[in-house]
Amino acid sequence: MSAPPAFRQQLVAAIPRLRRYARSLVFDAAAADDIVQTALERALGHWRQFDPQRDIVLWLLSIAHNAHLDALRRGRRLDVLPPERLTEVLDAQQTLGGDVGLRLDLNAALERLVPDQRSALLLVLVEQLSYAEAAVVLQVPAGTVMSRVSRARVAMRAWLDGGAGGDIPRSAAKPDLRRVV
Amino acid sequence: MSRPDDFRDTDLSAWLDGELDATRRAQVDAWLREQPEAATRVRLWAADREALRARLDPVLGEPVPASLIRTVWQHRAHPRWAQAAMVAGLLVAGAVVGAGGMWQWQGQRTSSMIAAARAAEAAGTPAGWIQRAALAHSVYVPEPRHPIEVKAQEEHLSRWLTRRIDIPVKLFDLREQGFELMGGRLLPDAGGKSAQLMYESLDPVTPKQRVTVYLRKPDAAAPTAFSYRQHGELGQFYWVEAGAGYALVGALPKERLLALAQAIYKQQPAALPAASAASR
Repeated sequence: MSAPPAFRQQLVAAIPRLRRYARSLVFDAAAADDIVQTALERALGHWRQFDPQRDIVLWLLSIAHNAHLDALRRGRRLDVLPPERLTEVLDAQQTLGGDVGLRLDLNAALERLVPDQRSALLLVLVEQLSYAEAAVVLQVPAGTVMSRVSRARVAMRAWLDGGAGGDIPRSAAKPDLRRVV
Repeated sequence: MSRPDDFRDTDLSAWLDGELDATRRAQVDAWLREQPEAATRVRLWAADREALRARLDPVLGEPVPASLIRTVWQHRAHPRWAQAAMVAGLLVAGAVVGAGGMWQWQGQRTSSMIAAARAAEAAGTPAGWIQRAALAHSVYVPEPRHPIEVKAQEEHLSRWLTRRIDIPVKLFDLREQGFELMGGRLLPDAGGKSAQLMYESLDPVTPKQRVTVYLRKPDAAAPTAFSYRQHGELGQFYWVEAGAGYALVGALPKERLLALAQAIYKQQPAALPAASAASR
């Protein structure tokens, strides 16, 4: 049997949240929507596994997270854009407002985080989940979420302190980040 | 673990996220007052958090790509080869039964609707137009060939109806709720003219369902509260606002119909500007 309309309705309502999380993982809008698409298909295929007592957004974020990891494992480095694409993507985001330089640095800093740390950071800071909720999504203990968020913060700040200024030294930064953590 | 007077980044980070219990939070509060360097670090983390949110929150306001909505409503439980077999089966069945068969069960209700509408008309019920909305639904929804007069794709649909019924007609987008606009038609109404928009369900699995939106200029401009009534299987939400009367009709569960009504309510045009009303 297929997913009932009420379930589909809930999925549609959750799409903006999924898109935000996916966008934070991969920056490129099209690649992010691919993740959302995959997550929605998986959710529809396994709708019986969803416990209606639970928060559907957490369940969907968890599915999206796994879809992203699968894509990474398959070697499709969805999250790494060639520098010329990065400019293009940033141009497309002009309408978002705010300081271009800062956004560029934020992207670069996020991009340099280890995927595990980045997911934890984004779920807590942007999706505003508690450590316990993020732990459900990531399927790790809450203590792990706590240390990942902290390490991600430190690493990101180190990058922003050291790497500020228009041009992004792409290959030089990674070893330095290790030292900070 | 750390001594209480020497907090690590993990503690400070959890403090910023509101994840510490009251005792520990108070300890960190006190400690940060003595440690300007650490306090600055935490402030920068807070600024980073705001910057991240500012960068990503606008995604929430972006229009959702139609392809994602289609994915949700058109997903089927069966693998692709089974889908193909099913479609082939449906085609054969369709040829045998005839396209009219699908809507026939709804057609049978029409006569009782006509009777009810006549009774309401005769009684001079103020809710006469609501009856007529239900009647128009019952008459046109079962039509296999000509359920609508003008297709949704035709650009002038909204302009044409707006001009004819003298209230702004907006083509409501109900795709997020799983319904797609087929088109509309002009109808006679006791007070003059009215318009009907017809929508069909996107979900390909369950039998196709149709809902209609009936629009008219109300007799009195007095707002009518958002109301619901049920006639047999047919549910109706209706309301009068900003100089237009709306009736949403469909044989759907009340919650589903409500979701559609709310979407229409949110999209409905603001009050008719006096100037444009006068110019017509």
